[in-house]
Amino acid sequence: MIAAALALLAMGAAPAEAPAPVPTTAPTAANDQPGADAEDALLNGRRRPGTQKDLPDKVTQDNPGAVRVPPPEAFYEKAEGEGGGDLSLDVAVPDRWRISSSLCPKGGDRSILSLFPGLANVCHSARDPFHHSVLKGDRPLSRSQRPGFLHGDDWFFIATAISDTVIEPRAFPIPVGNQTTQNPNEIDVFGRSHSLVLAQTFITGVSLLKGMTAYKPPEIEYRLTLATQVNRVTVPERRVLSVKPSKGTTRTDAFVGVQEAFVDYHLGRFDTSRFDFASIRVGIQPMQADFRGFLFQDEQLGVRFFGNRDNNRVQFNLAAFWRLEKDTNSGLNSVTSTPRKDWVLFANLYRQDFPVVGLTSQVSVTYNRNREKNQIEVDTNGFPVRPALLGDLRGRNYDVVYLGYAADGHVGRMNLTAQGYWALGQDRNSFFTSRPARIDAQFAAVEASIDHDFMRFRASALYASGDKNPYDNKEGGFDAIFENPIFAGADTSYWIRQTIPFAGGGRAIAINGRNGILNSLRSSKEQGQSNFNNPGTILAGAGFDADLTPKVRLSGNLNHLWFADTITLQALRNEGSIPRSIGWDASLAAIWRPLASQNIVLRFSAAALQPGAGFRDLFDQSGSSKRFYSVLANAILAF
Amino acid sequence: MKGAIASLAALSLILCGCGGGGSTSAGNSGGIGSPTVSPVTPVPAASLNFAVPAAESLSVADVQKIMAQAVGEAKARGLPSVIAVTDRVGNVLGVFRMNGAKATLVTSRLVPDGTLNTPPIDAQGLEVPAAMGAISKAVTGAYLSSGGNAFSTRTASQIVQQHFPPAPTTPGLESGPLFGVQFSQLPCSDLSARFGPAGAGALIGPKRSPLGLAADAGGFPLYKNGVVVGGVGVMGDGDYAFDPNTLDVDNDAEEFIALAAIQGFAPPVEILADRITADGTSLRFSDAQIGGLSPLQTSFAAASVDGALVPVIGYSAGAIIPGAAYGSEASGIRASTAAEFANRDAFILTDGAGANRFPIRAATDAAAVAQPLSAGEVRALLEEAFTVMSRARAQIRRPLDSRAQVSISVVDTYGTALGVVRSPDAPIFGTDVSLQKARTAAFFSNAVAGAQLQSDPDGDVAAFVQRVRDFLKDPLALTGLKAFTDRANGNLSRPYFPDGEVGRPNGPFSRPIADFNPFATGLQVQLIAANLIQHAQFVAGVSTTDTAHGCTNVPAAPGGQRRLANGIQIFPGSVPIYRNGVLIGGIGVSGDGIDQDDMISFLGANNAGIRLGSGLGNAPKDKRADTILVDLGNASVRLRYVNCPFAPFLDTAAQNVCEGL
Repeated sequence: MIAAALALLAMGAAPAEAPAPVPTTAPTAANDQPGADAEDALLNGRRRPGTQKDLPDKVTQDNPGAVRVPPPEAFYEKAEGEGGGDLSLDVAVPDRWRISSSLCPKGGDRSILSLFPGLANVCHSARDPFHHSVLKGDRPLSRSQRPGFLHGDDWFFIATAISDTVIEPRAFPIPVGNQTTQNPNEIDVFGRSHSLVLAQTFITGVSLLKGMTAYKPPEIEYRLTLATQVNRVTVPERRVLSVKPSKGTTRTDAFVGVQEAFVDYHLGRFDTSRFDFASIRVGIQPMQADFRGFLFQDEQLGVRFFGNRDNNRVQFNLAAFWRLEKDTNSGLNSVTSTPRKDWVLFANLYRQDFPVVGLTSQVSVTYNRNREKNQIEVDTNGFPVRPALLGDLRGRNYDVVYLGYAADGHVGRMNLTAQGYWALGQDRNSFFTSRPARIDAQFAAVEASIDHDFMRFRASALYASGDKNPYDNKEGGFDAIFENPIFAGADTSYWIRQTIPFAGGGRAIAINGRNGILNSLRSSKEQGQSNFNNPGTILAGAGFDADLTPKVRLSGNLNHLWFADTITLQALRNEGSIPRSIGWDASLAAIWRPLASQNIVLRFSAAALQPGAGFRDLFDQSGSSKRFYSVLANAILAF
Repeated sequence: MKGAIASLAALSLILCGCGGGGSTSAGNSGGIGSPTVSPVTPVPAASLNFAVPAAESLSVADVQKIMAQAVGEAKARGLPSVIAVTDRVGNVLGVFRMNGAKATLVTSRLVPDGTLNTPPIDAQGLEVPAAMGAISKAVTGAYLSSGGNAFSTRTASQIVQQHFPPAPTTPGLESGPLFGVQFSQLPCSDLSARFGPAGAGALIGPKRSPLGLAADAGGFPLYKNGVVVGGVGVMGDGDYAFDPNTLDVDNDAEEFIALAAIQGFAPPVEILADRITADGTSLRFSDAQIGGLSPLQTSFAAASVDGALVPVIGYSAGAIIPGAAYGSEASGIRASTAAEFANRDAFILTDGAGANRFPIRAATDAAAVAQPLSAGEVRALLEEAFTVMSRARAQIRRPLDSRAQVSISVVDTYGTALGVVRSPDAPIFGTDVSLQKARTAAFFSNAVAGAQLQSDPDGDVAAFVQRVRDFLKDPLALTGLKAFTDRANGNLSRPYFPDGEVGRPNGPFSRPIADFNPFATGLQVQLIAANLIQHAQFVAGVSTTDTAHGCTNVPAAPGGQRRLANGIQIFPGSVPIYRNGVLIGGIGVSGDGIDQDDMISFLGANNAGIRLGSGLGNAPKDKRADTILVDLGNASVRLRYVNCPFAPFLDTAAQNVCEGL
């Protein structure tokens, strides 16, 4: 029930390839040409062909210790890989990727280092991933390093190896076992709440790509990424980790998931002279539907046609995905299971500097077609996940179209992210009425922030509509397809990180999903169907990020959460008058990057939920404590 | 094991060919005319917390219309049927047998693997008069329903099987919350009244049900102005069964016929089972929908060409009689007087002449208990439990945040009923069930439990004792060392142990899953098997001797009280009562959610103990059944004691209200 789905932090944090812009992080002065419109404005620090501001001051380089440009005589005689290590001084550098290292001593003769002591700074082992390495795609494969059928000297190989360790003590309302309890004298619904998750994930991947890199997108890329996870969960009660009451309270599981397996083919005939491109990518690939992962952020099987135009000021995606089944306890893709009868079509368009300079707008149409009415899916732990154990328990199909608008960037000094969705469609069997119902639900989220010195101050607000009448023919609760929101503290926040079992209101049903913010009453974020008979979500919060040093960042968030409308909860629990307030969610997170790079990232966060009136009406724990906590210690080591 | 049940299965042979009419029964009943409306109904004092149901009842014309509508639909569907109508307290108002209707029914032998169990066990495969099924279905619709919930036999089917609800998606989940309720309101029950001659006592309820409660679709409650006034049951196909799959939409002719019958008497949509959830799962009132009905035939005269009213031995003299208005003295259930019970909301069972059938009294077991329950203590137990109920949030009633409504019984260690009270609109079924539960808790916690069962000559009752001792690896089990609630006893009475876990063998009081269906609950059936047989033979006209007023052949207690005089019950809602560690009785509660029933009994005992200070209360913690850890070889599973509900009270948001008690 409690899927120990570990967010693949390293991967999750990386935005989908190409079009999705990373949220702007640096403050930039706004339009400095009053009166000019967004089209004509010239941004500080940007140049545009044909537009010339005053010439900048002459730059005089004084770079002590730098390697001087070698004299013309100092070049190799033969192309790289053919010289057998002989140092000759009359050959051109074979390619631009080797400019800096071409003089490095090969073989035993290190005398050049006495001539050029600074050269030692660019001469490193080929296996050292932190400097130019063939294994990390910094340099192309030489002829001797690549098979003969790979023609051309611009094939790159990138190996990825990431270790992601999670230690997560937490507390959430846990019902005691229905048929048996772990301890005597457990005679109430709610048992002890403390639980521990340990998860170790190894993400290993290889990528082979051809292209000039740097400026021009690769011509073709092949990529395969596997995630191997071992997870161990300990809970205080029976029938939490397995449907079998006889099972104990600790569960260890392991899984290997295929998170990426795709070919990305660059459609060269659409290239422009400014490297605008169009590409088609087929296979299991990351896809993020919007800036913050509110609707869909996943690695899934699909075909995606994407690219950009107009000097990258317009970006687009057309994509079709066929969702793979997920492993219950790791959340990883299970390619050995039959894919789900669930398809998602995406069409979106990004426009930079629209409507104002510094802000990127996105319009999107997303269609989710689900045909799982006649399927029965039971998860790894024995709990039915499709159809969910809610209402009439009958299977259902649904069609939903999400109309979306998003903005991300800054307006003046204020950083701004905004997202709106309108979900329209039809659920062929509302579990409350056993009749078809129209889906009509809305979502809006805004996060604004201001940077001051090393501090960033954030304010966040989110609204996801809730269903207002379970027994009518309209479902008004907003649910996403596969959310992974980077919002309001993301997984450091209690409510986004932890899953609350809907004790008494649905067996194997959670109020909200792991790494999800929506109160969607699904059987599982990973394996369940979207559910539009839900109470909705409202969030208002404030937070800060403090870059104390280049290596240490401290973040804090204080959110208050509500249900939008508790009528669905009331119907499912046979309990009237449940207040809307979920409570206060306070969290603090520290990130330490000892190398000031992403190669070692240590993260520690702690969050507490102070339950509000609605939450207290719904849940409790044994003992006198009323608060619930979530602690996350996470170490990411990347090769 | 199966051999031991042969006596029950052999009933089929006895009954074959004898037909269901029982047309010689008139002498048994005398001429039944209109019931006398009782003049002695006390006017309830201003009710504090509960609305008293309005005095509504079915008239002869109502019954005729209901029957006519059923006959019309049955004719349109080509399924001649037996149609029974009862009032809310179980009086049979008439049984109509259509020409060509099957004379008998056979209780289902369908077992979970989809085959018919051969040989059948327990109460499977019995061939009995069809009218017994029709009446049981009508009683089920009436008894399970209230002004806050309308349940049908289909609803019952969802809550009595090995997984809740029965469906292809639910193997592995727990059993139905009312697992075993089908064996209540038994013909041998000492609480349930019987058909009798006209007079002030003729319509006293709650009446017994010939086959207990039914899980076969085709039984609905009847309403007038939002008040339950009775039930209708249809038996046509001869297969008295249950629905093994909740997910599909059955096309059940009996259900359509019954649906036609209730037109004009249908429950308000707001209280249908579909609007009531258990653990988030909606219950189901009917798979048949009104759109599937033929044009209604409302003329009884027209219907009469297709069949006739028939007498049923032990249930009906043949002519249609008007129903009793629930709450009247004549109905056998009325508001209590101030002398009878302090809480002015309480209703009690009455004898038609104004006398409380179960007045509060002191225990009768002084021979076995050093300090038995006094009348004052019984009163305190009932009052405190009643108060807990009055504060409790109902789990099966609409509108939301209604108060729980239940029946409460207290017994001594002999199983003597020391008092029965109920709220004004508690479902009727809980009256008998609360007494079953109280007796079950008191019996299985008793030092003589094992010896008593071993002395029962019926079926294989005695064999269950050794089974439970082997299972618990405790030769002293059933000797009073542990306190057994009905929840704990229920744990041992499921076809899987732990409950619902596929792949595990059955609990020692139950049957292997390969043999299981709602007619084969093991010990529960074996205890009353002889009573069932005797009664079926009586109704069929094969025998002139009806079953005794008091179930089971467990040896009677000193003084003659049968310890399990209305059978045992195996779903939660009772606790044994102790004084300073010594068993002195039991309290049973039934009518709302099982967690609510648990809480009302548990907190009732607890609060009475605090109030009395006489050492009375719940079992000491080290004696409770949840200290029993069953070793399954590769796992250990603890029995449960009680489970108090989430958000239990209406007057406070407190949770975990039983914690530490």
